[in-house]
Amino acid sequence: MKRISHRHHRPTEARIREIDQLNRTLIACPACDSVWERPALAPNEKARCKTCHTTILTNKHRSAERTVAFMVASLLLYAVAISFPFMRMERSGLSNQISVIDAVAILANNSMVILALICAALILVFPLLRIILLLFVGLSLFRKQSTARPHALSFRLAQKLEPWTMAEIFMIGVIVSLVKVGKLADIYLGPAFWGMAALIVIMAFGASAVCRDTIWHDIRSAP
Amino acid sequence: MTTAKALGLARCPSCGTLTDRPGERCTVCGARTYTRRPNSLQRVWAFWFAGVLAYIPGNVLPIMVTQSVAGDSPSTILSGVIALIHHGSFMIAAVIFIASIVVPVSKFMIIAWLALSIQRGWSLSEHRRHFAHEAVELIGRWSMIDVFVVAALAALIQVGALMSILPGVGVNAFAMSVIFTMLSAMSFDTRLIWDGKPLGEEPQHGGD
Repeated sequence: MKRISHRHHRPTEARIREIDQLNRTLIACPACDSVWERPALAPNEKARCKTCHTTILTNKHRSAERTVAFMVASLLLYAVAISFPFMRMERSGLSNQISVIDAVAILANNSMVILALICAALILVFPLLRIILLLFVGLSLFRKQSTARPHALSFRLAQKLEPWTMAEIFMIGVIVSLVKVGKLADIYLGPAFWGMAALIVIMAFGASAVCRDTIWHDIRSAP
Repeated sequence: MTTAKALGLARCPSCGTLTDRPGERCTVCGARTYTRRPNSLQRVWAFWFAGVLAYIPGNVLPIMVTQSVAGDSPSTILSGVIALIHHGSFMIAAVIFIASIVVPVSKFMIIAWLALSIQRGWSLSEHRRHFAHEAVELIGRWSMIDVFVVAALAALIQVGALMSILPGVGVNAFAMSVIFTMLSAMSFDTRLIWDGKPLGEEPQHGGD
């Protein structure tokens, strides 16, 4: 049992150089553990593992710039998606207009706290957190600032959040619910609906602009 | 061809940095490093059982209750699909059926099959198992659709006493089932699949 969780002291200079040297020559496949000589990639080239064909190294062209651009756009669209009315429903003279935040609040107020929390986390909190973290990391890489511990932690968290941001699944769910309600009431889509639709497209582009290998390489070999 | 494990190296699970001191924290990102994920299969099975257990009430109990002057009518996932078919919305019915029934059930079977294949040492194609795991990781999140459908309906249909839609207890169980199954798939260390593949110096027959 060697649990040494209490300490997380900074590694020595010599150790950092040792690790950097090791990683300049070798690379391991995340999926099958095969070790290869680290290939030098041209922009937009990628390397696959010969054993299992998983992509082991990418070198996306101008990744930092594109990441920053998509994250700024995402942030603006996110603001639109949460602040404007999402949809309005009319039925026999009664009308009900909700924003995404209203929707979560309605669930929470009607003793559906678990469902409200799950939705709030997956649709609102995690996507926003991921956008902000990637913006932070992308900006400092873009401006060639020193990339140190806070960047490493931010990017680690951003990676962890990726499967747990479900705005795109929520949108499909909304479309299904529109079909279900369509027969009962008149539905009008608000600006936030289109904001959210644009957001999921831009976030998908943003996710594919992020080049993990470049970012980690920059953090690793930062002075 | 050799593996990092054979060289005494470990790849950081978070940033991919190789280290010659497995078990220590990564000098680059601070994540704990390991040659193989500790207790990978135990975690897989623990989350798998939690997922299967939660899936049962998720399907049996109503995920949604429609309240109207005619009274309360609860609906389960399956009865929702049948209602959609009656409405003639075949596409939507297919989407819900696939996302809520076909995907979760095949996920349970694939994850169990992968874990058993490692534990029992079945000599199956590594590539096929690897692909199965990738597919499970990619598609698994989409089972959440029905949870969001219920959330959207419940939030929208709150118009006075005429009719309102309330989420049923089943939807919480179903959401937990999807989350547990995602955690189960994430806990699986795919390198275990390839560990079974004989290296060059010890030739064996069979396999692909």
